[in-house]
Amino acid sequence: MDPYSAEGELINIHNHFHQGQYQEVVDFDTSSLSPENALPARVLQLRAQIALGQAEDVVADVQGESEPALVAVGALAEQALGKPEAAVKTIEQLVESSSEDAIVQVVGGTVLQAAGKSEEALSLLSKHSGNLEAVALIVQIHLVQNRTDLALKEVAAARRWGQDSLLVNLAESWVGLRLGGDKYQQAFYVFEELAQAPATTSVRSLVSQAVAELHLGRTDEAKAALDEALKKEPGFADAIANSLVLEVITGKGPQDPKGSLATVDSQHPFLTDLAEKSELFDKAATKYKAKAAAA
Amino acid sequence: MQANSGMLTKFESKSSRAKGIAFHPKRPWILVSLHSSTIQLWDYRMGTLIDRFEEHDGPVRGVDFHKTQPLFVSGGDDYKIKVWSYQTRRCLFTLNGHLDYIRTVFFHHELPWIVSASDDQTIRIWNWQNRSLICTMTGHNHYAMCAQFHPKEDLVVSASLDQSVRVWDISGLRKKHSAPTSMSFEDQVARSNANQADMFGNTDAVVKFVLEGHDRGVNWVAFHPTMPLIVSAGDDRLIKLWRMSETKAWEVDTCRGHFQNASGCLFHPHQDLILSAGEDKTIRVWDLNKRTAVNTFKRENDRFWVIAAHPEINLFAAGHDNGVMVFKLERERPASAVYQNTLFYITKEKHVKSYDFQKNAESPTLLSLKKLGSPWVPPRTLSYNPAERSVLVTSSADGGSYELINLPRDGSGAIEPTESKRGQGNSAVFVARNRFAVLNTERQTVDIKDLTNNTTRSFKPPAGTSDIVFGGTGNLLIITPTAVHLYDIQQKKSTAELAVNGVKYVVWSNDGLHAALLSKHNVTIVTKTLEQVSTLHETIRIKSATWDDAGVLLYSTLNHVKYTLLNGDNGIVRSLDQTTVYLVRVKGRNLYCLSAGKPKILHIDPTEYRFKLALVKRNYDEMLKIIQTSSLVGQSIISYLQKKGYPEIALQFVQDPTTRFELAIECGNLEVAVEMAKQLDRPKLWTRLSTEALAHGNHAVVEMCYQKLKSFDKLSFLYLATGDANKLARMGKIAEHRGDFTSRFQNAIYTGDVEDRIQMFKEIDLYPLAYMTAKSHGLEEEVQAILEATGLTEEQLTLPELGEPLTPPKPVVSTFQANWPTRATSTSFFEQVLKGEVEGLSLEDKPSADPFGLEDGPADETAKRSGGLADADEDEDAAGWDMGDDIVPEVEEGFVNVESAEAGGAGSSEADLWARNSPLAVDHVAGGSFETAMQLLNRQVGAVNFAPLKPRFLEVYQASKTYLPASTGLPPLVNYVRRNVEESDPRKVLPIIPRDLESLASNELQRGYECMKANRLEDGLAIFKGILHSVLINAVGSDSEVAEAKKLITSASEYAVAMAIELGRRQLGTQDVVTKNPQLLKRSLELSAYFTIPKIEVPHRQLALLSAMSQARAAKNYNLALSFANRMLANGGSPKILENARKVKAQCERNPHDAVEIEFDQFAEFDICAASHTPIYAGAKYEECAFDGSKYLPKYKGTVCAVCEVCEVGKHGSGLKLFA
Repeated sequence: MDPYSAEGELINIHNHFHQGQYQEVVDFDTSSLSPENALPARVLQLRAQIALGQAEDVVADVQGESEPALVAVGALAEQALGKPEAAVKTIEQLVESSSEDAIVQVVGGTVLQAAGKSEEALSLLSKHSGNLEAVALIVQIHLVQNRTDLALKEVAAARRWGQDSLLVNLAESWVGLRLGGDKYQQAFYVFEELAQAPATTSVRSLVSQAVAELHLGRTDEAKAALDEALKKEPGFADAIANSLVLEVITGKGPQDPKGSLATVDSQHPFLTDLAEKSELFDKAATKYKAKAAAA
Repeated sequence: MQANSGMLTKFESKSSRAKGIAFHPKRPWILVSLHSSTIQLWDYRMGTLIDRFEEHDGPVRGVDFHKTQPLFVSGGDDYKIKVWSYQTRRCLFTLNGHLDYIRTVFFHHELPWIVSASDDQTIRIWNWQNRSLICTMTGHNHYAMCAQFHPKEDLVVSASLDQSVRVWDISGLRKKHSAPTSMSFEDQVARSNANQADMFGNTDAVVKFVLEGHDRGVNWVAFHPTMPLIVSAGDDRLIKLWRMSETKAWEVDTCRGHFQNASGCLFHPHQDLILSAGEDKTIRVWDLNKRTAVNTFKRENDRFWVIAAHPEINLFAAGHDNGVMVFKLERERPASAVYQNTLFYITKEKHVKSYDFQKNAESPTLLSLKKLGSPWVPPRTLSYNPAERSVLVTSSADGGSYELINLPRDGSGAIEPTESKRGQGNSAVFVARNRFAVLNTERQTVDIKDLTNNTTRSFKPPAGTSDIVFGGTGNLLIITPTAVHLYDIQQKKSTAELAVNGVKYVVWSNDGLHAALLSKHNVTIVTKTLEQVSTLHETIRIKSATWDDAGVLLYSTLNHVKYTLLNGDNGIVRSLDQTTVYLVRVKGRNLYCLSAGKPKILHIDPTEYRFKLALVKRNYDEMLKIIQTSSLVGQSIISYLQKKGYPEIALQFVQDPTTRFELAIECGNLEVAVEMAKQLDRPKLWTRLSTEALAHGNHAVVEMCYQKLKSFDKLSFLYLATGDANKLARMGKIAEHRGDFTSRFQNAIYTGDVEDRIQMFKEIDLYPLAYMTAKSHGLEEEVQAILEATGLTEEQLTLPELGEPLTPPKPVVSTFQANWPTRATSTSFFEQVLKGEVEGLSLEDKPSADPFGLEDGPADETAKRSGGLADADEDEDAAGWDMGDDIVPEVEEGFVNVESAEAGGAGSSEADLWARNSPLAVDHVAGGSFETAMQLLNRQVGAVNFAPLKPRFLEVYQASKTYLPASTGLPPLVNYVRRNVEESDPRKVLPIIPRDLESLASNELQRGYECMKANRLEDGLAIFKGILHSVLINAVGSDSEVAEAKKLITSASEYAVAMAIELGRRQLGTQDVVTKNPQLLKRSLELSAYFTIPKIEVPHRQLALLSAMSQARAAKNYNLALSFANRMLANGGSPKILENARKVKAQCERNPHDAVEIEFDQFAEFDICAASHTPIYAGAKYEECAFDGSKYLPKYKGTVCAVCEVCEVGKHGSGLKLFA
């Protein structure tokens, strides 16, 4: 039986993780879990630690472990610490040896995708057997590649066997935000439900809710959700980035990218993208010149 | 047939066998006559026995209330009919005549008659006013078991053990006993003849029909209230339905089902139903039209003997072997749901309707639910989903079922649902906008279903779950008989549990933070995390509740509407009449409820709870408003305030002097206390006041109290203590007058007045003491005088050792002059306000202040006031020009939303889609394709210098994407924000554009105007250039908007030119420098003149003209100044400016000459070159900016436009494209 399924004992820690409630994952009492679930639970906790910025502790924790899953998590931590080459190398070795391990697939897929190796990530993830986390990753990679059609197919397939589970809903909502129209509203429902219930709320859900609202053109509500998210975690880069976008949309004029976002995450796509575009602008602008200088 | 679905028992009494029952038509009373000879009067709503009447001997079988009089009648086995007054609680008189047991007695609905049926085989009609038997109806040849008047016609129906039912015509009797108005002789003859006609002497009542069909004795018979129908119940266990016409009557049908003697039956007063009761211990409900059984209620042990219906409301009563039960056939609580300002409810006809609280209007039927469940079972609950505009209706029929139906957009008559999804379940409720939960109590499962009715998940609720209700997003409140659980659907576990017994309903507050759990007798208020906030108990059954917007719970019991604050403070809002109401919403003074299946507004006075709430929240402003606006605040508020420790606030309400005094003492408000004490003038009060005042150090009040109390000793001591020597002396005098020597002595000691003391001793013949006093104070003369008077010499006296003479202390501080200083803390906020000390809150200022916004008045006022303020501000802004007033320019660009609906193609990313196929530069910018955007702009308007557009490019680009946190460990997913949100066709989606035309016109443009008025030209210039840049990179939704955009461009361009000219003039140098240099002066005058040329708004032009006029006048160019003055006068506007112009005009007309020659021909038509700021006369050649239309001398061709700073002058493109 799938330990992550609705009746499995990992359902709660699993959901906490994917709802972005990392601290709850770390604090989760794993002592009562059955032995076969101990490893997946530990992996989830380690990944939550990485997400909380404690990658160094994780590296120390998994030092010397030979269990492929833990090695993979170690690679993930390495990557988070800014050593992507080493991480990718580790993962590539693991792909050779134990690509059937569900955790290796998911963690490896994450590392590869983060390193920009989407095709490798997809080929590794495609080996999954009924793992919703892998499906969610595949969906995300398809979306990054702008293959909304493939992502949609993947979700539709997962919906058939994954039913109403959290990850299916999330992945569907991600796709929904690409598709737009009615799907915006449906995605909003999913995020709102997560964000507004005290048991499931997290900064990530709030930001997701805000993004959906932003796409729906409900700027006031989006602002409220973002403010709430920033109140919870002032340094959450995605919340700051989306706030900047929102400010622009509501007519506050172009935003200074060197603000708080740069201090929190100087590599945030919002910034890198903008810098790139700024450069592009300058380059493109040089092609034009007035015929005569001003008198 | 549906057997034994729960009967709604409202009341049960325990007694001996109940044989007769009668409902009071208005009050919640029921009369029960017992086999034990007692008649009981119960209040079935409170469940209390009001009275017992015990004068009959043996069983009492029939009772009836009079419809209007405080009377009832009873008939028993003692052959007696008794008429009672329940007010005086005694039997008024007895009607004797029957010769055997009396079975039933009934009042006539309008005449002063009673009909009785007896085992003596007769039916008799009595006049209870003159207490006489007026008619005896014979014909039955066995016991007459029941006889009733027809509710409208002159008919009586009777049932007998002779197996027959008889209908009697009593119109003759009515004629005979009605007032003899105009009885002709013939009538009298006819009547006397008629009297003789009947061989039995029965003249007034004749048998009209004899209905035979029962095989055994008939126990009960009843008329239908409106139709010509009769129902009877017999020992043959059958219920028979009969119909009659004018001339005949016949059996219609038989209802079979009772398996023992049927003892009673009746027609449902409002529905097409028959109810019957029998010795088989069942009550059965039959469909009148189909004669099929609808429902059966069985009692374990008790045989039923009688059944009765309430004439008005949906209540029935049945008497059995061990008492009486009062019950309802169906729930009256209409299934309903409130969403924002709309109530959705299901009527008795099973129609879904809505009610708008704002318009106070009912909608037409939205939907008909006729086919839901069984016809006699009303829907139980309604859950509304605003997102989908669908309703979820549950019904207890068929063991519980639910139905999910979409509401039509607009209702127009009974509409059968086109598409509905149904299933089995006991409760069903929406838990999210795309999910609902269904409880199956039998299997004890909760299914979460999506809108297509597919189960997406399923779980086992806590044991014994009886109901589920919405518990906040993603949560359910699961109700078991002893507890409520907050259940997290996602986690599938109960996150909180609260032990509350028998919760039946849950009402969420409007803000979703609190919920009220209603049980039969308790209200428990909990937070959204199921923490108990407060709980209260009611002895009367609680029916419903609703939350006030301010967080006050209003709930209804059977007889009251009450409120409770979150802290548990509660009270009565108003009382209710008999019909039960179900509260749904409270808004201001209107309490909305469902009553008898319809929305109804009850008027309430929310003052009390609003006040208490304000008190709890210490919202003094609101309290103050309430005090000012509400006419009456009752005693309860006062005692409440006192109890809660706010005597000073209570003081503000009280009128009664005694209470006022008490409160004033309690809160130390001496002023009021004194006032009240004066008014009442009672020694007790003065004593208390003096004590209190003394504690305050307020000796002035103490003095007054002592004076009032005539406490001379205390007064004296007070004067001594405060050092008031004068008054002490006066006290001495007073003592002398009063002849109180002790007091006089005391005062003399206090004042140190030795002479007076000696004098006094002498007066009372205490010479030794007088002598001693004099001696000790060394008053030799006095000593001698005393010796003389007593005839003694010094030698004869032996004196003790004399001490020092007493010198009274001298007051160091004249305390008596002022009260003891106290810290001024005792004035509460309230008192200050009431004394008008707090600014902005004084009573006079806000006569119309309305605490609850019940009226709309004040809002307008504020608006006006703020409007006034804005005016003032604008005046101030213009003061930057130091030239007086001007009028506010009116901008009427009614721009609409910018939208476009073309673009498309296939591509990998949405941004690419935008860029690839949209002809608008802005969409390329949003898509990040800057090169193509620049190309487009270059082609359209000859844009060459892009640097100034960079902020706008990046702004548009920044707005186009959001960052969605997706999988942990991966960068966020980028999504593309659209301006056509509804669109999902990838070939039609378009990016969002920040600061569209409307926003530019309503924000930036106004800011630009303000800069103009405030003389902040640098800022203004930047703003107008910014507007040009923003319009250049923009999109609109229609051709008419393109025109608007063009207008905006032109306007911004004109302003930019005008401002640039004026700024150029100022850069020439300071006033001194310029006037000294003729060259500069000339240029300065020219520029100030050119400043008046661009087509800016008239009020702004006036400013330019004013400036030019003053410049010209100062340079003694009177002719020029005159021309400006004339133009200003022609423009009109602010009187102050015009006045100024008139003055200048008058002055200049005296000497219309120019001192400085400048290049400005006031009569010529010309434009200004935006680069050189020199005239381009009409007809001369010029170049233009293709974008903003600014004009240039030909020599500037090929340069960058000075206005927009982007385009090349003279380069003509295809024109700016803003709308595809």
